[in-house]
Amino acid sequence: MATPRKLTVTDAHLAEALAGRAYLLFDGGMGTLVQAAGLHAVHAVPDLLNLTHPEAIVAIQRQYVEAGADCITTNTFSANRLKLASTDATVAEVYAAAAANARAAGAPLVAGDIGPTGALLEPLGTLTFDEAFDIFSEQACAAEAAGCDLIVVETMADLLEAKAAVLAAVESTTLPVFATMTFGEDGRTFLGTTPAIAATTLSALGASAVGLNCSLGPTELAPLVGELAPHDRALVMAQPNAGLPRIQDGETVFDVGPNEFAQAMEAILDAGATVVGGCCGTTPDHIAALRALIDARPLPAVASVSVPAHAPVASSVAAVSAGSASSRIAWGEQSEPKGLSVPSVPNLRYCPAFTVTSAQQMASLPEGEARIAVIGERINPTGKKKLKAALQAGDVDYLVAEAAAQQRAGADILDVNVGVPGLDEPTLLSQVTRTLQATVPLPLQLDSSDPVAIEAAARGYAGRPMVNSVNGKADNLAAVLPVVARYGCTVVGLTLDENGIPPTAEERLAIAERIVATAESYGIPREDVAIDCLVMAAATNQDEVREILRAVALVKERLGVRTVLGVSNVSFGLPARPLVNSTFLAAAFGAGLDMPILNPLNARYRDTVATFRILNGQDAGCRAFLEAYANTADPYEVAAGISTAGVVGGSIPVGGDLGRPSSSKATPLEEGGASPAPTEGVPAGCPIPITETFADAADVVSHLAECVLEGRGTPVAAATEQLLETHDGLAVINDIFVPVLDVVGQKYDEGVFFLPQLMASAEAVKAGFDLIRDHAQAAASAPGTTNAAGDRAIIVATVQGDIHDIGKNIVKMLLENYGFTVIDLGRDVAPEAVLAAARDTRARLIGLSALMTTTVGAMERTIQLIHEQLPGTAVMVGGAVITQEFADQIGADFYAKDAAASTRVASAFFDD
Amino acid sequence: MELKTRVDREEALAFLGHRGQELGDLRERLERAACLCEKELVPRGVYREMDASEALALLPGRDIARHVGGCTRVVLLAVTLGTQSEMLLRRERALSATDGLLADACASSLVEQAANVLNGHIVEEAAARGLAATTRFSPGYGDLPLSCQPAFLVASGADRALGICATAAHLLVPAKSITAVIGLYPGRGFVREGARCSTCPVADTCALRAQGRTCYGNPA
Repeated sequence: MATPRKLTVTDAHLAEALAGRAYLLFDGGMGTLVQAAGLHAVHAVPDLLNLTHPEAIVAIQRQYVEAGADCITTNTFSANRLKLASTDATVAEVYAAAAANARAAGAPLVAGDIGPTGALLEPLGTLTFDEAFDIFSEQACAAEAAGCDLIVVETMADLLEAKAAVLAAVESTTLPVFATMTFGEDGRTFLGTTPAIAATTLSALGASAVGLNCSLGPTELAPLVGELAPHDRALVMAQPNAGLPRIQDGETVFDVGPNEFAQAMEAILDAGATVVGGCCGTTPDHIAALRALIDARPLPAVASVSVPAHAPVASSVAAVSAGSASSRIAWGEQSEPKGLSVPSVPNLRYCPAFTVTSAQQMASLPEGEARIAVIGERINPTGKKKLKAALQAGDVDYLVAEAAAQQRAGADILDVNVGVPGLDEPTLLSQVTRTLQATVPLPLQLDSSDPVAIEAAARGYAGRPMVNSVNGKADNLAAVLPVVARYGCTVVGLTLDENGIPPTAEERLAIAERIVATAESYGIPREDVAIDCLVMAAATNQDEVREILRAVALVKERLGVRTVLGVSNVSFGLPARPLVNSTFLAAAFGAGLDMPILNPLNARYRDTVATFRILNGQDAGCRAFLEAYANTADPYEVAAGISTAGVVGGSIPVGGDLGRPSSSKATPLEEGGASPAPTEGVPAGCPIPITETFADAADVVSHLAECVLEGRGTPVAAATEQLLETHDGLAVINDIFVPVLDVVGQKYDEGVFFLPQLMASAEAVKAGFDLIRDHAQAAASAPGTTNAAGDRAIIVATVQGDIHDIGKNIVKMLLENYGFTVIDLGRDVAPEAVLAAARDTRARLIGLSALMTTTVGAMERTIQLIHEQLPGTAVMVGGAVITQEFADQIGADFYAKDAAASTRVASAFFDD
Repeated sequence: MELKTRVDREEALAFLGHRGQELGDLRERLERAACLCEKELVPRGVYREMDASEALALLPGRDIARHVGGCTRVVLLAVTLGTQSEMLLRRERALSATDGLLADACASSLVEQAANVLNGHIVEEAAARGLAATTRFSPGYGDLPLSCQPAFLVASGADRALGICATAAHLLVPAKSITAVIGLYPGRGFVREGARCSTCPVADTCALRAQGRTCYGNPA
């Protein structure tokens, strides 16, 4: 629940700085001076110097005070519980001592410093978001208790970690929170985040200042400040190094001297920074030069702030902290109800925009600019059996494939909807979101009507997600908007309320107005709101189509917000749906639609989008259009020129995913079908014996088996499809797949095949196997086979501490090909988690993998636990470092030297 | 620093256990994976030179002491393909297990080649100062434990300069990262012999050795 944040501003100058009316000067580097004092090797964690050598820290910080710094940063970069674990000191002790030292040095203001945890967060690393949040929360509370005036989160490379830190500090304290990330020469952090993405994400979370530090010198940093400023609703902050680090005689040195540093800082001030200081290599002399520079510079001209045309009462999560320091509020303890403050984005360079980001990519629609962004709709189980089945089976890879395909097709944002009755939506939505973020860089739209699911996913989301949706119902607004505000999301509002969807444009506008006003009352500025005027089917509500288009135009004109439409509803009940949809899409663009939700794999829609981007000027110089279309024949002319046979009225038949006629790609099935008539007996060269059941289809079987050996999935699927017309799926598995996989395994054992060949063959079989499963599921009335693990269920996992999972994945795929149900627990799995899964699923066989000698201890513990708690459950082990001898030693029931061997172990186990 | 290099296709195949098998369609798939890695990934490296005594304080074990015995200076180096490699490999694995495996091997080769480039740079720079270099020696080889990785990352600057982390089990993230030690000693000419399988405690279970390769460049 978003409650008004109490902000404590302790000092008049700080209040002026927070309002953007004064510069705030931080100190410079600490490490260089600690080294000069000969103290750099005293502790592994240098923050302990606060306790053991307070006089030395005070002496260094006093130099910065004397140089004119307004704010001294505590020496607590590493003072988190992870890094202090190896010491006797607590987090609270270190912050207390550090803040006392800064005060003793005469610091006018003390900033409680929080650096990165040093561990990488999920999904790339192993630290969870909630663990990171707890760690930072402890530090923020310690800093506040120690009497710090503000908190500075600095040198972050991971946007998600920065988000955890800012959120923890904002929610656990009443202090202003400043945040900087560190960027390389390519203008990105290690994890690919740009300054613009950092600014929009962190300022939306409530940071009072967002900026850049470390890594680069002022000259290199200046253009990055320019990139950041327009996206930052908070103050702009910059703490560069004294130039680029250079190695000289094995030591890191910085070349930019104090005067040169101050000179270069001018460009950074010009770009909009009002909170400045130095990082590595900077000294009190650098800070003194910077002091002289800003003292001689006119104060930032707040008076000239241009209030965005459509945001007269705009306020945001960010504006809360910023607004709290605005002129009408005296400094001291302040309670600032969100959304009731005067507009006071303290950063003059801020340009309002509707923005959605991942950690690596941003879709931004600035106010006053004609731009469109495509939202890909394919990750939504409504009407998609395969996706629904994949969600039920926990097959996230299927979703990744859908996401990657939409990315390639040019989607700007991906809609993610995992609503399947019976599934735990909050858990699933955050799990799917995490997986997609680890594989595809597009920003995501969290599509759910459940506020709990939205919050679960938005919290751990790396970036700024778009929430779809709220509607005009009072209870819905009250449930969803606090989540949107708390996590700095952007949001889609649907123009429906307690009375349903109104028929006229004016009534839709009225609901939209209410949604925007309510959002603003929660501190969500209107540039963060998009309105969906809700498309009705032309077949059933023909008169409303024009009203929808008029509503889009009205909402844009009167409210100045972005618009969204789910385009394909319009064609419901009509033939030639893509034709209807794309025509409506063009009309909607004309009315002012900004973000269509559609299937980007459809070439017809892509054509309309690409063409409209010429008309609205987004495709500058028509470059993208020329590149894509200059050498493309008009599909209509092609159809007319070649032949009109089968084409009605000179048009092409429409249907399926692609509006364009697919040129002539003969399927391998047709190739197979075109082969000579079946001969009696086994075709020459068939790698497996033909059983009686398939005597009538010997050629197809032979073709299938050869394609498996060649690792070609598409023809295997085609041949399987053909066989399924006349044969039972189980027979195909037992008489064809299993024997041919045995041949593959044998070839692998003999060294005729190497690993990628084994896998390509297994994958080819999987293509056929998936078809058989689909057929079986279509035949069965209910999808009952997915959750209840069958008789032949096997659990696989990579043991705790080990993050290698390729071997385990190969084993999984092969086992599935042999018809086993495989429950994949992933990598780095704790013994207790394996036990719990074995209990839940009642799987009788468990496969454990370990690649590192250091992690086989965890394998042994897992085996012991399973044998102790679940007698009768067997464990097979494998992995690069495991031998038969070793397997015996740690009490494993079976040893599989490779993936092929694991199938033999499993077959023997279940056939006994 | 950025390290310009390419995937060594033959090395990637060797990582996959290739011993002359007919490649067929796989040749094309491997090429695609290699191009993908070269296009999307930027290998970067960092190194720090220090007195041998300072380095050995961080690096426990007899083998590393023997490796840099007689060296006055020691270089700690780190190379990574960045978190982009984690994303790329996860995506490729999700789309196809085979393509995922091929991309993984190509990425392994790319980071290995990047380490060679940085190694060459270090050797050259040392030679200009009249110092000769030993071969590379990495944590996890011999009795140099993986548990030295966290301190290694800090001491080499790889944590801040490259964003490499170590997990609780001391594995590097991004996984396509290499840390290694090079010793420098007064003299010129030959690169001195370093580790040998005959003295390595993990030789029995070494995956490289099983393929007839070694961690120090020479045949077993």
